[in-house]
Amino acid sequence: MAGSDVGKQSISNRQRMVWIGQTFVVLALVWLALNGLDGWWFGLLAASVGAVVGGLLASGQPHPWRPHRLAGFALFFLVESFKGGIDVAWRAFRPDLPINPEFHRCRLDLPEGQPRTLMVSVISLLPGTLSADLSDDGRELIIHTLMPEAMDSVWRLDARIRHLFSLPAAEAADE
Amino acid sequence: MNFQDGIAVVLLIAGCFFYLAGTVGLLRFGDVHSRLHALTKADNLGLMLVCAALAVLAADWRISALLALIWLLGLLAATVSAHLIARHARRGWE
Repeated sequence: MAGSDVGKQSISNRQRMVWIGQTFVVLALVWLALNGLDGWWFGLLAASVGAVVGGLLASGQPHPWRPHRLAGFALFFLVESFKGGIDVAWRAFRPDLPINPEFHRCRLDLPEGQPRTLMVSVISLLPGTLSADLSDDGRELIIHTLMPEAMDSVWRLDARIRHLFSLPAAEAADE
Repeated sequence: MNFQDGIAVVLLIAGCFFYLAGTVGLLRFGDVHSRLHALTKADNLGLMLVCAALAVLAADWRISALLALIWLLGLLAATVSAHLIARHARRGWE
């Protein structure tokens, strides 16, 4: 028991270190965009402090993302943004207003932290879905849809997020 | 007007179209949640197209990166405020 606990702890610490590194890279890039190379040493210092403090204060288990899979996720998000915007614009301008709003309950199997936060945030930007409420334990999400078929994109997003964070595939997704 | 300006104008007009569509949806859809759909999704695309047009006009990597950052912050604000409004509306009715 104790041995497996120690193993788990070191994996968790390694993930936290990777997460701190990723936060540092993102902060340094934002600094570079804002200031260019003027005062780069101060930018590096600020990014380091931000990453370490953020990493230490992050609650729960940090989930580092796979940098090489971010491009695929970004592309998926761009395509879905276009579909979502065009879909809702078409519905807004049609004289007969073809919307059929309803609520859906769905179980969230993604781990707490970045994966779940990303899921809840991005759902509202996908075509026809809006995350309307999250139960207090964070396991159940209420999704508002403009048309019944919109729920398909929620499962595609779930699979994408699992891929981005290298999480095991969902068992409940095909229920 | 050169080719670059032409692309920027097309992107700007498309961006304004989606902002208009979002506002039309906000006025025409019947309930709070449907209205939020129009605001989040149409404005997200509108802001993306306007930022893309400005990036084409600026033709500078740093300004483009800043515009991308502005878009991401706009997305974050839109999705968080939409979720909070939707949750409040739902819990208020129960």
